[in-house]
Amino acid sequence: MTTIDLTQLTQLHYINKKLVSGYHISEQDNLAWQELDQQQAQYAALFSALGHTLVHDARGFFHFATDEGTANMGKISRAIALFIYTLIEHYANQGQDPMRALFDKDVDLELCQELVLHNKVLYDQLEIFSGTDLRKDVLMRMVRLGMAKAKDKESVFRLLAPIHRYLDALLEVNEDALESAEEL
Amino acid sequence: MIIAKRVLNTLTELWPVLETLMKRFKMGDFSIKEVQSIIKQHFPHYSGAQIYKETNRLLSQDILVPLAKSSQLEINRAVSDFAAYLLQDESLGVAAEIHVLVEDLERLSTKLSKAVSDDDYADISRYTRIMDERVRKIVKLYKHNENAIYNLVEQAKANGSSMSLSKRYKAVIEAFDEYIEPMLEMLDISGAFQICFDAIELGLTEHLLHLKQSGRDTNTIRMLEQLRTRILDMHHIGRESLRQSADILMPLREELRQNTLVTRQAAKVLGLIRKRGLDNVMSAHQPFFASEPMHHQLGSNAQLVAYMAGLSEFEEHDFEMPDASAAEPYRAPNIPSFRDVRALFKPAKGNSKARRQQLIDVLDTHYPELESDELLYLYQKLINDPSLTLSQSEQLETKTIAGKRFALYPFIDASDATTTKSSEEL
Repeated sequence: MTTIDLTQLTQLHYINKKLVSGYHISEQDNLAWQELDQQQAQYAALFSALGHTLVHDARGFFHFATDEGTANMGKISRAIALFIYTLIEHYANQGQDPMRALFDKDVDLELCQELVLHNKVLYDQLEIFSGTDLRKDVLMRMVRLGMAKAKDKESVFRLLAPIHRYLDALLEVNEDALESAEEL
Repeated sequence: MIIAKRVLNTLTELWPVLETLMKRFKMGDFSIKEVQSIIKQHFPHYSGAQIYKETNRLLSQDILVPLAKSSQLEINRAVSDFAAYLLQDESLGVAAEIHVLVEDLERLSTKLSKAVSDDDYADISRYTRIMDERVRKIVKLYKHNENAIYNLVEQAKANGSSMSLSKRYKAVIEAFDEYIEPMLEMLDISGAFQICFDAIELGLTEHLLHLKQSGRDTNTIRMLEQLRTRILDMHHIGRESLRQSADILMPLREELRQNTLVTRQAAKVLGLIRKRGLDNVMSAHQPFFASEPMHHQLGSNAQLVAYMAGLSEFEEHDFEMPDASAAEPYRAPNIPSFRDVRALFKPAKGNSKARRQQLIDVLDTHYPELESDELLYLYQKLINDPSLTLSQSEQLETKTIAGKRFALYPFIDASDATTTKSSEEL
């Protein structure tokens, strides 16, 4: 049984507020990250008593596990997925290693424009018609979810570790599984 | 006579069968046994007779047609084209195909000019119609080929890593050599196509002017105008489609592409999303986040299910009536009747002793068996009784009644007293 000493959890208010709203706390959030890392057992016990499951991903981020979302959240999540996959495709086409480029390269408006232009059929499904749309609908939301951070007055973005969740999802998609699900 | 609606119904009902036939045999032939086994596979609950009936339906409506001099079957060309379009599963044609059509267009335009100069209106509308058809066909081919290139690229990108690079990209390189490059050459700004189209367009404009001046047949004019627009549009579509195709083929041809697992999977998933829609592909796999509204709504699905489960197991507790014999019998409070009490204070002869006494003392002495609250109840009733003349002492006194101590300004029975407010008779 873990004893919870609230005086030790100095960042509790901030951490709770962020995690509850779907934010991913990664190493960039210095204070909160350090405290979560050090007092992980206490935080996990406290949050599980409140009905949340605190997940620590070894690739460097914390978030709350949820197995169901609102319809709107589902749509946002799919938009983020599409953005990340087209970005991987883009880097691969340029002959770069996508896994490195994703985390090392900045995403600016020009790149957004290019992605939307090259994948028009795909982005049309989400009603994203321009780079500005992509920035507003996807990247700004990613910042709010702790999956990206904005620089230079929100004109340039850098993706953060939590997008690994989407890479996991990518590897999960299996054509055969999809076909059998459709036939049912 | 085959009724269109009936064919469409059959197509809808047996679509999975056709899809499988398309996938498994591409454009090849198959036996009737194979068709029946595919029907069986998709509709396992069908009886033998039903399967026979469905197969017959496909044959009688010419959706499946027999090969010449053979018992093998193939899918009707019109149906297979339509299905390929729906499944976006087209294969790449060659540039020559489009080239032939364009040459034909050129030939037709000279005939049209002749018809216009001869003022042969029947011929004008005939050639216009044929040219219109050719243009539509060219646009269709552009779209078709663009889709085919997408498919090629996807295959090359997502293919297993066991093959060598050159083998994997063989189809891509072929596509580039046989379609893209010749097409680019044709569509070049000063290429053969451009000159040809410029000539056709110029001719059409002249014919239009001529016909308008002669003021004849608005229908023909309208058709010519439409044709001209379509040709201009076709040229634009062709350039766009080629640019797109070249864009996606170029990086592959350069063999610069990094082929990690993630890249291959991304290409595969994006291809799936293009064909089946984002929601279908990603819904089962996307990550979820906690979100603010979730905390305001009634409860998550899991909570609701748990609640419903709780309801279904709900059992009412048996309501127990109290046992009549166990209950204590009712005991009336043993307060004497108020009338008797009041009689103590009624002015009467020979009863002067009781007068000028404090009410509370009188009560205490007359009813020693009463509890303090019962005495106070009587006391309070007495002082509110209008038939008694009372006066109140101005001094606070402490009294002990039935074992309880009270501090009060006692009322005194003053019905006959001239000296009031005296408390000497304690």
